[in-house]
Order: sequence, then structure tokens, then C-alpha cells
Amino acid sequence: MMRGMIRMTDVELAKKRGEEHLKETIPAIKKTFAYEDTAYHLPISFALTGTAVHDLNTARDVFTKTGNNPIVASECLLAEKTATSGKENAPFTGFIGDTVIRKLGYSLVDGSILGLALVIGTPDSPGTAAAICRELQEKYMLTFLAGPVISSLSDNGVKLGLEYRLIPLGSTPAYGIHFVDIIARVAMMFGGVTPGDAGRLLAYAAERAKAIVIVFPGLSDDEIALVDGMRVLGFPILSLGDYSGGAWIPSGADEVVRKGMEEKGIRVNITAIPIPMGCSPAFEGKSIRKEEMYVEFGGGRSTAFELLRMRSPDEIKDGQVTVIGPEIGSMKEGSANPLGIIIEVAGKMMKKDYEPVLERRIHNFVNYGEGSWHVAQRDLIWVRLSKEAVAKGVKIEHLGKLLAGKFRMDFPQLLDAVAVTLITDPVKVAEARKDAERIYEERDARIKGMRDNEVNTYYSCTLCQTFAPNHVCVITPERPALCGAISWLDGKIAYEISPSGANQPVEKGAVLNAQNGEFEGVNRFVRKASHGEIDRCSLYSVMEYPMTCCGCFEAIALMLPEVNGIMVVNREFKGITPSGMSFSTLAGTIGGGAQTPGFAGISKNYILSDRFLQGEGGIERLVWIPSQLKDELKNRLVQKLADKGLVDFFDKIADETKATTIEELMVCLEKAGHPALAMKPLV
Amino acid sequence: MAIEAQFGWSGTIGEVTLGATRTDGGTRRISYRIGGGTTLPFLEKNTTSSSPLIAFEVCDYPQFWSPIVRNYCGDLVNNLAEWTKTADTAYKADLIRLHLNSTRQRNFTEIPAVGKTVETVLAASSLPLIIEGSNEPKIDSEVFRQCGESGQGERLLLGTAEASHYRSIAAAALAYNHSLIAQSPIDVNLAKQLNILLKEIGVQRDHIVIDPYTGALGYGFEYSYSAIERIRFAALKGDTDLAMPIICSAPDTLSIKEVREADPAVQDAIAVSWEFYTGIAAAAAGAEIICVRHPATIGMLRQAFASMQARAGPEGVQ
Amino acid sequence: MALKALDIYKLLPKKNCKECGDPTCLTFAMKLAGGKADVDLCPYLDEQAKSVLGATTRPPIRLVKVGVGERFFKVGEETVLYRHEKTFYHPPGIVFQVSDTQSADEIAAITRRVRDETFTRVGTDLRFSGIAIRNTSGSAETFAGAVATVEHQQAHLPPVLIASDPAALSAALVHCGSYRPLLHAADRKNYKEMSALSRKHGCPLVIRAPTIDDLVQLVKDCTAEGAQDIVLDPAPENLSAFITRSTQIRQLAITRSVPELGYPVWLDASSTGYQDAALVLGIVKYASVIVTSPLAPGPAKACLTLRQNIYTDPQKPIQMNPGLYHVGNPGRDAPVLMTVNFSLTYFTLEGYLESSRVPCFMLIVDTEGLSVLTAVAAGKLNETLVKDSLKKFGVENEVAHRKLIIPGYASPLSGRIEEATGWKVLVGPRDAAEIGDFLHEEWKKQE
Repeated sequence: MMRGMIRMTDVELAKKRGEEHLKETIPAIKKTFAYEDTAYHLPISFALTGTAVHDLNTARDVFTKTGNNPIVASECLLAEKTATSGKENAPFTGFIGDTVIRKLGYSLVDGSILGLALVIGTPDSPGTAAAICRELQEKYMLTFLAGPVISSLSDNGVKLGLEYRLIPLGSTPAYGIHFVDIIARVAMMFGGVTPGDAGRLLAYAAERAKAIVIVFPGLSDDEIALVDGMRVLGFPILSLGDYSGGAWIPSGADEVVRKGMEEKGIRVNITAIPIPMGCSPAFEGKSIRKEEMYVEFGGGRSTAFELLRMRSPDEIKDGQVTVIGPEIGSMKEGSANPLGIIIEVAGKMMKKDYEPVLERRIHNFVNYGEGSWHVAQRDLIWVRLSKEAVAKGVKIEHLGKLLAGKFRMDFPQLLDAVAVTLITDPVKVAEARKDAERIYEERDARIKGMRDNEVNTYYSCTLCQTFAPNHVCVITPERPALCGAISWLDGKIAYEISPSGANQPVEKGAVLNAQNGEFEGVNRFVRKASHGEIDRCSLYSVMEYPMTCCGCFEAIALMLPEVNGIMVVNREFKGITPSGMSFSTLAGTIGGGAQTPGFAGISKNYILSDRFLQGEGGIERLVWIPSQLKDELKNRLVQKLADKGLVDFFDKIADETKATTIEELMVCLEKAGHPALAMKPLV
Repeated sequence: MAIEAQFGWSGTIGEVTLGATRTDGGTRRISYRIGGGTTLPFLEKNTTSSSPLIAFEVCDYPQFWSPIVRNYCGDLVNNLAEWTKTADTAYKADLIRLHLNSTRQRNFTEIPAVGKTVETVLAASSLPLIIEGSNEPKIDSEVFRQCGESGQGERLLLGTAEASHYRSIAAAALAYNHSLIAQSPIDVNLAKQLNILLKEIGVQRDHIVIDPYTGALGYGFEYSYSAIERIRFAALKGDTDLAMPIICSAPDTLSIKEVREADPAVQDAIAVSWEFYTGIAAAAAGAEIICVRHPATIGMLRQAFASMQARAGPEGVQ
Repeated sequence: MALKALDIYKLLPKKNCKECGDPTCLTFAMKLAGGKADVDLCPYLDEQAKSVLGATTRPPIRLVKVGVGERFFKVGEETVLYRHEKTFYHPPGIVFQVSDTQSADEIAAITRRVRDETFTRVGTDLRFSGIAIRNTSGSAETFAGAVATVEHQQAHLPPVLIASDPAALSAALVHCGSYRPLLHAADRKNYKEMSALSRKHGCPLVIRAPTIDDLVQLVKDCTAEGAQDIVLDPAPENLSAFITRSTQIRQLAITRSVPELGYPVWLDASSTGYQDAALVLGIVKYASVIVTSPLAPGPAKACLTLRQNIYTDPQKPIQMNPGLYHVGNPGRDAPVLMTVNFSLTYFTLEGYLESSRVPCFMLIVDTEGLSVLTAVAAGKLNETLVKDSLKKFGVENEVAHRKLIIPGYASPLSGRIEEATGWKVLVGPRDAAEIGDFLHEEWKKQE
């Protein structure tokens, strides 16, 4: 506290003084000035105002136009100084020409450089700057230097220059202005920013230019004003001691790079996982037999579970792997041991809803290991490590490293940090499992309860458009995709993870017909997605404007006008149905993106939904369904029917053992007193 | 009361410029504007719409090239400058497409040589140039930067961006103002997604040419044919993410069984027939650039296009 | 506009009497909706319902048969403008033409060529479809003689008679009238006699007019004269005119906007001056009968292949016959690569294997034409299938080793395949393009 009070610089005050000083200095400009090898005059002023600045008048003009901006002032003043005193000698680069900038911009776009850093000021200890620059290099950042930090580095033997990605701009921090004029030029060269479009420049700088500023002590007021002015471009300013107040982020030297990159969302992509076992999808199908295994977990022989949870970024450290309990060395060959796999993830775009989706990947990732094997999910998992792998030195912690690495590699946009805890202590596993079970139940409750009216956005799926060019599925919480593979939540998550993928949001819009499930927004979407072929779509109706079908539906619901009911036939049923047609005949006619009133492709589980046949008056319309499917759905369907008060109804639904022709069906339904016979006529 | 079919189009195909003449800062003698279609191919009423362009493919490493072409062109293939010149003046292609297949050699690192090759070809012919770069993550960044730089100002068409790697070619396109070819595996939705990814990285629509990947005739061609039709259909129905001109290049044509195993006496004829039938069909579906490797195919295509267009040849700005 | 099955059902008697041959009216309604049944089959429809239904359910483009016997072909009954919307159903008949001014020997040789020449691809025999005889001489007698020469070859090929003089046609029909020849062509001047001839012999008639409007009128006039099986010749003066008119005809026909255009289309590629281009355009742009001069081997193969490709049902992938295929000359230590029988997969992999120059075996298993990804997801590609295929095709007799390379996307099956077969499984790349590198690096390690 004592030490700090003597040396601390108040950023706000210094900034104000600096801005004042810059304002006073502008009128002192005498000479004309111009940089060589650039088509952009003074790039920052040019980008902001479209004015080419080369003398006092134009300088005053842009300074006023930009509201006395300290960056603009600094740019003009340094340009004049360079014209007056000449360029600084090597190693200082001063203003860098367009040709080189074009090359740098290229590397930014193609990803060989992840971002840009400006390191500026006077480091108080020589090694600090060197360590920071090394870290920046390792993380594929392009670093610009301004001020005494440059001599500090070269005195320390650090090599500078373009090829080392450490560029010494000038001997004083004021040369840091070139950092900004480089970004302005990249914006104009690559970002489509037209000179004068200040708004676009700021947007480009904030969103596309991944730039951070690291400030050492020793900046003058003018220079503080300059650096602080960079905040408007979206550059986080990280200060190493010495500065207080303002919006600068104080940081320690050993975490400043990480903090800065995190702040700006710059992520280093992981390409290799340092463990003594191979990791590739090629190993996915390889199972580990009893004779081959060293140890196993779960599978009925011991307790094991897996869980993925979202955390906030400060709760976890990226890449951290912890083993709580005995390691592989203490486990006897051939034994079954308890295991808890807990993956904790953090990310700006990560949501709690994604937890189960990501959790499912644990299975794939463990199987990618050459020598690790995994089946099932949640608290039913069964995991094995092979003798071969253990002999090569694979430990429990390596499993953790594999998971941490794969999650980061496969979800680079979504996850900023992944930490893995593997519990092998029996008491702790039992405790943690209780928590896990609670979470599983919560998740189940959330999905089960989801109703269509609770959400405003449905999701489309065009995965099978290759075979049916005009077909689009609209997926709601109560109506999964007709292939049976994709739920509303799956669609939502897929969209959020890949916004330009096969699942797109469909705004419901106004309700046009609640019973049939016809919505204005859905109609609009379907019209566009089918290129005008389909005008209207009722989500809950089979008779009126049913959804189009591709060809991969699990089952077909179709009208049987003679008995005033709807029958269902699934893909597995090979015989002729009372409609007179088999599944494959029907599939051939209604598939391919057609909308066929009276016929709808559905998933098997949709039969259990409350919305099934809602347009036609409800499940009481169901007159016939193959016995095998009836059995498959029996328990759940009986439960559902009981909930609705339809206790006897299940047995009234006919199947092929009771009727195979329409005539037989009619007799059968009359005998059973099937409700459909008395309902409103279908046709 | 003339009877006429209605199609209900609401969109048009975007236009892409290939090649820059002196007025635009380049050294090409002609610059093409492709695209601009408002209806099905060859049904345009507008008399200024142009025929598909014919690109002749050359390479810098003939050992990896078809023996049929090596045989037909003879020693020419070993002198890229001469070969290029011949393609222009004798074979009369509309465009040259340079395959830098030397980069496919194991552990290739001769980047400056790539630059020289591009300069040589640009000097040998003043036709607009398409350059097919490397497809090796380790060297792509350098190769495309070199191509972009060497061809700066000439409005090249660079190939080929795919969903799994497009950053280097996009960077070259952005840095040096070239257009690029976006390829997807015969899937309309993937083609659209790639265009969106390119848009996000800053590549403008009017700098993209779609390659839906063309399978050889008899080896998947019909999938490509339908992909081309579907892309054009979507574009004309208003989907701006697919409203780009299309390039057709069926690279395996000269190595398929029927051509490879043909009697030497008729092998050239069969090779040409195969390329010709593929090219006409692709053009009928909507492809605007047809790439060929056998010189004899060019003249045949041009004549046919003239009759299909019933108008003058490719629209050029001199 | 086409009626949907439900709307059609509402107009049917709903008796389920089965007299139409279908078990229920619903079934019949669905067939009618798909243009796959004749409304006349229902005995209980009143005239009004019949005409409403007939107009909207009859196939928008009439089915026309040419020729009789084994080599006859049928065209028409198409429903889409783009093959990807559904499929193109009936490939065009592509006929070689002879002129009646050619010698008898020449005519005979060409006829025998069409009779005998077969080009086999993907398990299908591809052949040209018939013989067109052109009355170049202008003489009825010469024409008839040429037709006689053709028929003398006993090729039983569908004949196409090209003459503008009804008298010449009449003379020729003596030799082939009962073989359902296609007659070209009725025009504004001769349509009455032509229609009479077509009616008399029960054979299809080409109607030719220089504009769409003229064509519509002429069709009306010919049908008034009793012509039923019609083919349209839009008389294109260049390829551009053909593309435009044929597209218009197809679109107007399938939308049922102009019923008079609901017939297959004719293209004489040989008189366009750009025969090969015309053949391509005819195939892709809706021509159903295409006339060409006899083709050299290159164009012949390309033409037949293009026709096969374009007229493949996009929803039914072409399948290879399952089996053990050789690439190069594989010996007993050559690698064995397993994959699915989807033809595209096969050809793609084969191509890359050829360029890798490593002799090997391809074990093609029957996944009913599904691709690797789909077959794995659907469970069609499984360890039992692989085990059975290894046995069925005697792979163990061909190689000394027991190592099987499987596609990258089939990796989830690797363990199960090993267990079921006892072979060691190597998981190859996901992308076939990398197979060369894989064989040179990974496979070499095995040796």
C-alpha cells in the first residue's frame, strides 16, 4: 500500500492531462508530412474521416471532426515528427509500408496469426518482458513493441523482427500509434471498410481485429491518453502494476497474456494431446476383452458414473486434470474399481442446456483412446483400460487429459476452458454419484415437461434434403423429427453450435389454428424453404396441410375414411395394411417432399405425444397399428392413456392379428365400440 | 397470344469478374463478367448474355498429368510457357487454368518456384487465369500467399476452398483482390454453408464461384448434374447464398476405365467425346466455366455453344 | 393442377368394390394422384366425375410405344422438369438413321450394328434403340425398298419412317406397318393423310410445326382426325431453339396448362449440324425420340452412358454386384479393402486405388446400395455381413494373411468384425483420397 501510493499513476487524471496537452500541441504543427509506401495517407484519420491528412489544416480539421480524439492527435503529431527528424534507425521500424501490412493481414485472415498485441512502456525488471513476449510467440500472436521495452528485450538477447513476430516500432511509447494505423489499414484492405466509415472501422476493430494492449510503467500523460483512446476500438488494456483507475485491467506478469487473450476471446487451438496412447476415431470400434483388460470400472462390478457440468470461467482452470484417490499403480490387475468422471466446462457461448449433449461425447472420446473403452452413459457406464496401454505408461490422469483435450479440440468456439476430475476413492465416488443422480433427474424433468406453447421458436432440419429437395421438418418440443433422431432440444443446440448448419430457428408467429397447430411464422418458413411449393403446414394434423415427408420417417399415419379413423404403420411391418397398401407402397407415394393430405410421416415416439392426432380430435382416432409396434409402445402408451382417462382404449386399437382388410377392421371396431366411429367425419 | 411457360423466378445469379485489363490495373487483354442469369440456362431473352467460358487446364508437373494429354501435346507439356501460349493462340481457350500440381509432391517446399511459375504463365498468355493451388495444410498458407502476390492486380480465380480448409485461399483472395472457387461434395446444403462461412470471413459474394464437384460421366456425373440444377434453381428462387456462377471440372474424366483402356487408335476420340458430353451437359444444367484437358475438345465446345446460344461468343471487355 | 389423393377420394364411389383391381378406393385414389392408374377402371364413376378426374389424373405426358417385340421402347409419362424432383422415367429411344439413297449393304450393316452392338456398364446392357429410314430420294419405291432391306435383317428393331410424302410412307408401311413404326411427320399441309395413315396402322405419329402456338393448333387438328399416340417435333432451327421449345413444352405439359403439349418430344440430332451436342441436349432436355447418324465408338459410348446416368432414379442408388474385385494383379499378400456396394463409393475408391499403384482386392459387400455412413447408421453394414461376405467370396483362398482394411467411417464396427471373423481389422481413412498414403505407410508397416 505504501509503495503503491508513491508510484501509482491515476489513469483518469493522466488521461485528461494528456488529452489537453495533445490539443494544445496540434496547432504547433508546421511542416507537411507523408509516409512512404502507403495508399492510405495517415491511415487512422483516413479510415475515420476519409480525409487525407498532410499538414496543419487537415490535421486540425480531422482533430475537430473526431471530437479532439487523442489517437488522431497522436497520429498527426508523430507523422510531423517523423517528417522533421527523420525515421529512427534500425531496429526501429517506424511506419510500416502497405506491402508488408498486406502480408500480415493475410496471416491474420488465414489463421497463422491468432491476434495482435501491443507491448508498450518501460519494464521494471528485464526478464519480465522477455517471458511475456515468449508466451505471446508460443500462442501465435503478432507482437508490436514501443518504448524502452525494446532495448530491455534486446539487452536480454531476445531476437526482434518480422520473422520472430516481435516488431519494434519505435523508441518511445508514442510509436505505439503505428499499432493502430496498421489495424486501420487491415480494416480497409481486408475488412471492406471504406475510408470515412468510422462506424464500420470501430466495428471491425472490435470484432475482427483480435488485439490486446499490455502496458508497462513509464508512460507520459500524452501516451496514457493515446493508450486509453484505444479502448474505443475494443482493445482490452492490461496494466502491469503502476496504474490505477480507469478501465485498465491490472494483471500480474505471469497471467497477463492469458488474461488478455481470454478477455478478447482469442483461443489457441489444441492440435495434439500429450499422452502415452494414441487417440483417433479409428480406434472407436475396438473393444477390450476381459483377457486384455488391466482394470475396469462400473459395468455392474463397481460404481461408476459420468457427469458434465457448466461452470463460470473463474471456477475452473483450463486443462487441469485431478485424480482424487488411488492411481493405476495401486490398482490390481483384473480388478474392478469405482470411478467418477466429472467434466467441468466454461465458455462465453456455453449453456446449461448443452450439458447432456456434450456429456454424450465422453463415450466417443474415451473410445478414441487406443487402449481405453467405454459403454453406456450416466451412472451405467462401463470403462476399461487395456494391459497394453498400462504397460506403455497410461495412467488414470491420462484419461483425464484425453477428455480435456478432445473437448477443447472438438468445440473450439463453444468452450474456453475444460477441467477434468477423476474420482477413484470409493467413498468420494459414492457421494459424488448422489449429486450426479440429482442432476440427471432434473434434466429429465425439464425435457419431459417441455410444451410447445412454452417456446416461441421451433427448429427446422434439412439433413435429408439430398433426397427430398423441397422437404423441411419443423421440430417442436412435442413433435420430434419424423426420422426419430432429432428432438427440439437437439435442433436448438445444433443451431447454437453451428448457426449456418442444417438446423435453423423457425419463429412461430401468430396462431392461425390452434387445434391443427398452424402458425403464421411456420407457414412463412415452410413457403420459403420449399421454394414456394408448400403454402401452409399444420403441425398436429394429418388431414389438413400435414408436414411434408422425405423418406426416412419411422412410421406413417394415414386416414381410413371408411372407419373414420387414422391408422399407423411402421417401417418394420412388411404386410398389407387395411388401407390396401403396404408401408413401402405408401412410402413411395408420400415421400420426396410431397404434402399429401390424409397422410403424414412420423417418428414412433410421436405417437406418445399429446399432440399426436390433435388436429383430428385426439388419440381416440387411432384405429390400427402393427402389433409389434403396439407392444413396443405398450407400457408408455397405456400410462399416457390412463392419464387422459382412456383406460380401456388401448385394447380397442386393432392390429394385424385382429384385422388385415378394411372390412375386417370395420367389424372389429364396431364390436369393440371404438370411439372413432362416433367422432366427427374425417372426410 | 403466344403461349409461354412461366417459371416464377425471383432471383438472379450474381456476377463475378475474371481477369483485369489495363484500365483496371491488370495486364489481361480481356476481362470476363460471368453470371447474371435470370432464368434457366440458354433461355435468356437478353441478347447480351454470354456463352459458357472454356478453360484449358495446364500444369507445372506433367509427370502427374494424363498420359493421353502428354501424348497429344508432346514435348509442349515440359515447357509451361509454350504450352500456355499454345493453349491461347492455337487451342483458343477462353481461360487458362494452371494446376500447381508440383505442390503434390511429398514434402514440397519450393515456394518461390511457385511464384515464378505463376509469373511465367501470366507472361505467356494475356488471357484471364485460374490457379489451382496446393491441398496440403502445411504449405497452403505460403503457396496461396505466393499465388496471390504474384498475380496481384490480375483478378485471378483461385482454387479451391473447402469447408475444412478455406482460410488461406480466402486470405489470398482478400489481400490481393482475387476471386475464389468454393467446392463442396455434391451437396447443395454444404455448398450453401461454405458460402456462408466465406461471407463470415469477409469474402464478398461477387468473388465466389461455386464448384459442386463434378464426377466423371458414368462415375457419378448425374449427381453433379442435379446439384448444378438445384443450385441454380435455388438461386433463381431468391437464395442469395447460392446465387453464384458455377464451374465444372471433371478431373477424373481422362483416367476412367473406358478412356484408359480404349484402343490407342480411338483413345483420343473417346477422351474428347467424354469431355465434350460432360461439358455440354454441365453447361445445359447451368455451369458457366467448363474446364477441359484435351485440346481438341475446345473447338467442339465452342461451336456447340454458339448454336446453343444462337448469339455471339463470350462477352468480353477489351 | 394435379389433384391430391384426398380430393380424388372424395369423388370416388367409396364402395371398396375392388373391381378396379385395387383393394380399396383409397389405394385407387393414390394411384390416380400419382398418374399411375386409368380413371376408366372404375365402373361406378359418372361421366362428369370421370372427365374431371380424367383431366387431372391422366399422366400429363402420354405414354407412346414404338416398335413391337423384345426391342420395343416406350416414352412419355414424365412428371417433372428436373430429375431431382422425382426422376425421369423413360429413357429416350436413340435411333441410327439410314438414307434410302445408301446401298443395300450399307443399310444392312447399320441395321445389324444396332441389332448386335451392346455396351455393358454397371451390370446393364446399353444399346441403341431402333432404325430411322429417311426418304432422301423422294421416291416412294426406293423408300419402300430401303425399309424392306432393314426388315430383311430380322433385327426386329423399332422402325422410324421419315418422309413428307404420305404416299411414300404408305408404300413403306407395307413392309413394317404391323411393327408399330413411328411416322415423321404430319405438318400443316399433309396432316389429314398422315393422321389417316397413323390411324389405319395403329402407329404413333410425329407432328411438326415451327412455333409452339402452331404445334398446339396442329395437335388439335390431328387429334380431331383421330390421332392419339403423338410425338411433337418443334422443328428447331438451332440448338438454342430446341432447348427453349423443349423446355417450354415440358413445363406446360406437366403443369397441365396446355394439354395439347402433353406428348413426348422428337429431336433429329443429325440435321442440326452439331450432332453430338444435340444428342447431349436431347438426352438432358426432354427429347424422347432422338435420331442420329451412326456413331463412332467414342460418341456412342459417351451417349449411351449419359442416357443411363440422367435416367437413373436419384432416389435409388445404383448398386454394384457384391463380390471380390481385383485392382491390378493382386497376389497372396495383397491388401484386402472392404467397402459397400454403392456404385459411387466403389468407383471412387477404385479410382484412388488405381492411382496408388498398389495391387489389391476390393471386397464389396451388399448394403443394398447404401453409402458407408448410411449403411453403418442403419445397421446394414455389420459384422455378420462382413463375415458372410468373406466366406461367400472365398477371400481366405485368395490371400495368405488375415488382415482386413475397413473404411474410416466404419470404425465403430472394428472390434465386432474382428470378433466375428477372426481377422485383424485395420481402420482406413475416412476420405478415399487418402487411401494411397494409407497403403504406402500403414499397410507397408504390416508387411
